Amino acid sequence: MKRALSIVMLVVMFAVLVTACAPKPEPAAAPAPEATPAAAEQPAAEKKLKIAFAYQDLETEFWVAGHKAIVETLKAKGIEVIEFNANEDANKQLEQVNDAIAQKVDGIIIIPQDGESAVAIGEACNSAGIPFGVFNRPPSNKDAKALVAVADNVTISAKAMEHMALEARKVFEKTGKKVKPLVMVGDLGDPNAVGRYQGFKNVYEKNKDIFTEYIEVPTKWDSNTALANLKSAMAANKDVGLLFCGSDFLYPVIKSVLEPLGKWQKIGDPNHIIMGAVDGDMTAGKLMDEGYVDATAVQDLYYEAELILTGMLEAIEKGEKTPEKWMDDPGFALTQANMGEMKMRMWGNKLRQEKGEL
Amino acid sequence: MNNNNKANMSAFALKLLKNIPLLLFILVFVVFGLITPVFFEWDNIENILTSSSYIGIVAIGMTLVLLTGGIDLSVGSLMFLSASSAGLLIRNFGFPIWLAIVSAIVIGLLVGAFHAFCINKLKLVPFIVTLSTLVALKGLTLMLTKSVAVEWPSAITGMASRRLLGFIPLPVFIFIVIIILVQLMLKSTPLGRHIYAVGYNSEVAAKAGIDHIKIIAVVYILCSVLAAIGGIISVTQLGIVNAGYGEGEEFKAIAAAVLGGTSLSGGVGSVFPGVVIGTLLIQVVQAGLVYLQVDIYMQPIITAGIILLAILLDSLRTMLEKRLERRNITKSCE
Repeated sequence: MKRALSIVMLVVMFAVLVTACAPKPEPAAAPAPEATPAAAEQPAAEKKLKIAFAYQDLETEFWVAGHKAIVETLKAKGIEVIEFNANEDANKQLEQVNDAIAQKVDGIIIIPQDGESAVAIGEACNSAGIPFGVFNRPPSNKDAKALVAVADNVTISAKAMEHMALEARKVFEKTGKKVKPLVMVGDLGDPNAVGRYQGFKNVYEKNKDIFTEYIEVPTKWDSNTALANLKSAMAANKDVGLLFCGSDFLYPVIKSVLEPLGKWQKIGDPNHIIMGAVDGDMTAGKLMDEGYVDATAVQDLYYEAELILTGMLEAIEKGEKTPEKWMDDPGFALTQANMGEMKMRMWGNKLRQEKGEL
Repeated sequence: MNNNNKANMSAFALKLLKNIPLLLFILVFVVFGLITPVFFEWDNIENILTSSSYIGIVAIGMTLVLLTGGIDLSVGSLMFLSASSAGLLIRNFGFPIWLAIVSAIVIGLLVGAFHAFCINKLKLVPFIVTLSTLVALKGLTLMLTKSVAVEWPSAITGMASRRLLGFIPLPVFIFIVIIILVQLMLKSTPLGRHIYAVGYNSEVAAKAGIDHIKIIAVVYILCSVLAAIGGIISVTQLGIVNAGYGEGEEFKAIAAAVLGGTSLSGGVGSVFPGVVIGTLLIQVVQAGLVYLQVDIYMQPIITAGIILLAILLDSLRTMLEKRLERRNITKSCE
C-alpha cells in the first residue's frame, strides 16, 4: 500500500512539474452552445453556420499560422468551428470527417495527411452532399469534387532556385569552377515535398552548365533523419556550394551541421553556401535579414486561407453541395534582391512584426 | 562425414550465426568503404557514432524492457516531452541548464514509475499502457508548447561538438558510459541476472524467489530515464525541438534492439555487442546510401531489405540452436 501511495505521489509530482512548464493559460473560448429545440426553430436566416476544420496536425509554424488564420476568420464571421486534430493519422481523419458529417455541418475544410487520403475524405463528403475544401496540401487526383487552395510548389520553388542559380552563376564566372548543389528532400509521400523537389530540378536542368551533379539528401520531414543524412552528405561532399531545402523548419538542423564545418557564413564570405528553402517562416525571415539565406520560396498563407474560406462560404450561400474549384496560390520568392519591396509580404515576417521583432 | 565432423560443422555454423549482426555490420561497412573510400575517413565514422548515440541510448533502455518480455512504445513521445520541458524551463523560467536537464530526467523517471504502476499494480498489458502514454505524452507536450518549436540556448548546442580526450564527441562519450554501466549491470549483478530470468520464464523466476514486481519497475524506469537522456542528447545536436520531434523513434529503438539479437519474447539479448551493433548497422546503412547517392525512392527499400536479412539470419540461428539442443538431448538419452 505504501509503495502504491508513493507511486501515486510520484505521478502527482510529475503532473505538477509538467504543468509548471506550461505557458500562461489563455482565457478559454466559451463553448459553443448545444443545439436546442428552440434554436432549431429559429428562422433559417438566423441559423448559425457550422464548419468542421480537420487538420492533420499542427507541427510547424506554417500549420499553426494557417490554422489560426482559418479559425479566427471563421469565428470573426460568427461561424461555429468544430475542430479535429488527426495527429497525423489519415484513417483517424476520415473517422473525424465522418463524425462531422453525422453532425450535419454546413461545410468541411481539411488539411490532409497526404494526397491519397484527401481523395477518400472528399468522396465521403461528396456522398453526404457537404461542401468540401482542402487547404494547402492537394488531393492526389480529382476523383472527389473539392475546393482546393494550394500553393504551386513547383513554381515557387523554381522562383527561389532561379535566384540561387543566378548567384551560383556569379560564383562560376568568378572562379571558373562548377558549383555543387545539394537538395534536402521532404517526405516522398507528401505532394508538396515532391513538387518542391521538382521545382529545384527544373532550374537545375536549365543551368547544368554551371552545376555539377546534385546531391540528394532525404529528410522524411524528420529533424534527426535530416541531421544524420546531411552530416553524411557534407562529409562525402566537402565542396557543396548551394543548398536548397524543402522546408524552412530544417534551418536549425542545417546550421548545426554547417557551423562546425565553418560553412555557416553570411553572404559575401568566401565560405558562404548559397542557401534557400520553402515556406517563408519566421526563422527564414530572420536568417534573410542576417544575411545567411539567399532566397525563400514563400507560400502566401493568408491568401490561401482567404481563397478557401471565400470559396467555401460562397458555395454554402449558393446551396452548392459539391463545389469544385482549384485555386492556385502563385506564391513568390523573397530574395536578397527584392527584400525592399517584398519583405513584409512573407507571412513569417508578418508574425515577427506581430511579436515585435520587426 | 562422421558424427564428430558434423557436430563441429554445426558448432561452427552456430558460432557464425551467433555473430551475424557483427558480421553483417562489418560486411556492410567494408562494402560501402570499398565503393567510396571516403566512407572509411574518421569524419564519417565520427558522424555515424554521433548520429547513433541518442538512438543507441534509447535502444539500450528498450532492450532492458524487451529482455523482460515487455515493450515500451512511449519512448519517442517521452523524448519529445523531456526535451521540450527542459527547453521551456530554461526559456520561460530561467532554469540553469543543469537543473533543466535534471528535471527532464526526473520526468523520465516519473513516466517510468507510472508505467510500472500500471503494469504491476493495475495488471495492464505493457503494450496498451505505453501506447496510451505515447499518445498522451505527445498531446501533453503539444499543449505545453502550443505546437511551437522550442529553441535551446546555444550553450547546449555547443555541447554536441565538445570533445573529450581530444577526439570523443560528448554524445558518443555519454553513449559509451551508458553502454558500460548497463552492460556491467546485466552481466555482473544479481539485478541483471534477474532481468534475464524474468524474461526467460517469469513463473519459474518467481518460484526461485525473484521479486518480479521490482524487476519490472526497474526496467521501465530505466527505459524511460534513458529515453529522456536520449532526447536531451539529440537536442544538443539539433538545437531545437519541433512538434514532429521523437516521432517513430520507438520503432528505430526496437529495430536496433532486435537487429542486435534481442528477442521480442524476452530473456535473450545483450547491450554489447548486440544493441550497439544493431544501432550502428542501421546508421551505417543510412549513411552509406547517402554516400553512394542511391536513388531516394530506393533507400527505404534497401534499408528494410538489410534489416529483414539480419532478422532472417537471426531466426536461422535460433532454429539451428534448437536443433542442436534436441540433438544433444537425444544423444544424452542414448
